[in-house]
Amino acid sequence: MASVTISNVRKSYGGFEVLHGIDLSIANGEFVVLLGPSGCGKSTLLRMVAGLEPISSGQISIGNVVVNDLHPKDRDIAMVFQNYALYAHLSVFDNMAFSMQLKKRPKDEIRRKVEWAASILNLTPYLDRQPRQLSGGQRQRVAMGRAIVRDPSVFLFDEPLSNLDAKLRVQMRTEIKELHHKLSTTTIYVTHDQIEAMTMADTIVVLRDGKIEQIGKPLDIYDRPANLFVAEFIGSPAMNFLSGEVATEAGRPVVHSNGVALPLPSDVKATVGQTVKYGIRPEHLRPGAGTEGIPAKVSVVEPTGPEIHIYADIGGQEVCAITQDRLELSPDDQIRLVPALDRIRLFEPETGKVIGSDETRPRTLMRA
Amino acid sequence: MQETFWQRRLRDVAAVLVVGVFMFPLFWWALTSFKPTSAIFDKDGIVWFNFKPTLVNYAVTMLGKSRAELAIESGNTFGVGGASSYDSRQTIIDSLIVAIGATALTVLLAVMAAYALSRMRFRWRQAYLNWILSQRFMPPIAIIVPVVFMFHYMSLLDTRLGLILVDTLINLPIAVLLMKSFYDDVPVDVDEAAMIDGATRLQIFWRVVLPMVKGGVAATAVLCFIFSWTEFLLSLFLTNSIRTLPVKITTFVTSTGSEWGFIAALGTTAVIPSFIFILLVQKQLVRGLTLGSLKE
Repeated sequence: MASVTISNVRKSYGGFEVLHGIDLSIANGEFVVLLGPSGCGKSTLLRMVAGLEPISSGQISIGNVVVNDLHPKDRDIAMVFQNYALYAHLSVFDNMAFSMQLKKRPKDEIRRKVEWAASILNLTPYLDRQPRQLSGGQRQRVAMGRAIVRDPSVFLFDEPLSNLDAKLRVQMRTEIKELHHKLSTTTIYVTHDQIEAMTMADTIVVLRDGKIEQIGKPLDIYDRPANLFVAEFIGSPAMNFLSGEVATEAGRPVVHSNGVALPLPSDVKATVGQTVKYGIRPEHLRPGAGTEGIPAKVSVVEPTGPEIHIYADIGGQEVCAITQDRLELSPDDQIRLVPALDRIRLFEPETGKVIGSDETRPRTLMRA
Repeated sequence: MQETFWQRRLRDVAAVLVVGVFMFPLFWWALTSFKPTSAIFDKDGIVWFNFKPTLVNYAVTMLGKSRAELAIESGNTFGVGGASSYDSRQTIIDSLIVAIGATALTVLLAVMAAYALSRMRFRWRQAYLNWILSQRFMPPIAIIVPVVFMFHYMSLLDTRLGLILVDTLINLPIAVLLMKSFYDDVPVDVDEAAMIDGATRLQIFWRVVLPMVKGGVAATAVLCFIFSWTEFLLSLFLTNSIRTLPVKITTFVTSTGSEWGFIAALGTTAVIPSFIFILLVQKQLVRGLTLGSLKE
């Protein structure tokens, strides 16, 4: 096990820079997820840690060793690839034993380790099979088995679940998390799937266009996105954004948006007259009774089972609200939506930055 | 779509017909090789099975007997000719040496060159590939004169090594391009996984990637073997005493007539080595060996 330190790492192809100075430190035993849309550089960063891509500038250390110029095999890492990359001509046993066979380890040690890995991953009955005789989930487990027999300092996962069907993905997610719990090996996991990131990570690193947008614990990132991009990217259905201008109405701060007054908490950090994006997550926007809340017109109602998604129009802008109440609504109904004041996030429209930084709000208050 | 009984029948009949059309020449050739000369050309019409089968044609071409010898042995007198120049045993040995040698050399060079072309990025890589392909544009006849001169200076004329080299030269471009396409089907991730597992470039090639393209190697080998086995033109120009099968057969067309019985016997025999070779590699020929390393 080891920590991983990435300092001011850049990657360019020709003159084109794809990673613009990444700084990241990963603690020993931590499960870090690199999350971002395709092309954000997350896989490139992972491959640089693995040693499969040269580092243009900056430094990567595993443990106390700078690995910039070390061959992948000398970095004490193991990697699981998106398409498994199994050795199709070898049995499951030989796939897992390959690295130890190369090192010419004693036969009984190889057998013991492979059997240990197989028992962890429920692969024991399949050791003599060829990869083509296995299902997708089993192949992915073989790929993981090949990684864990090496007992590496760091596990690297490159979108390992994206080729599996939805049900299997949920199952494998749990298995990987359990595996990490059992082995406590430092893990870097790349995905574009926010649910995977939220469910598995100790720490999520959100990347966009070769830059880190935010680093934090899953719920911190969800509850307190640092900017518009993170707020939009995390959460499904996505956070609602309404454009407007900060004003005061009857002594209380509000945002005027297309003639509608959106309420704000009294301790808001924005100044009167400032243009803002008013962000509120669907589950923090509940249908209210009477004259309370923001007037809205229902456009679509989607019952999902546990909850109902209400798409509605506020001053010409579409929002989504989620409720667990069994409301009888139909399109064109007039309703009122009440935002949870402590959950509102304001963003600067130009920079996308959140208004009022996290430090000004005590963590305990936000968690409540 | 559910097939009806008659659709299925019709398809079976069509399949038999197609196979029949392709197999008939082979069958006729084999049949001819067992016919006496009188039955090969009969003025009264086509002879199917109403002839007395004979092994004379094989005895002459495969055992080196002359027809006169055979006639004396059996007490018959059904013709003259069939001297020892029809003995083709050495021809078959030479052809096998040339074809196997050329195939082995081509495959050896192609699997390595194609791996490099598939996996390594270097300047002018695409241009290099196009250049390799361009080597197939030219018909062999176009290079025959310079090759004859070069072989003369290198003392390669009329040697088996010379034929092996020239067949390799002709086969190599197509073998490299074919092998490259098989390597391209194996994802680079497999190389990288092996690299992380601690394999050197040579170990990745030898222990991981090459076994995964076994089917491709087999297909390439079959292609090279058949080319070399049937190659006529270069062999004709570059050899005198060493004769490969196609050249040897042409010598059966003599000033006193074509020895169809001998041609048929040697032609039929010539099918056998190719047949055995393909039988040996056909298990590998089934594609989809890479299945299982990948998502589907």
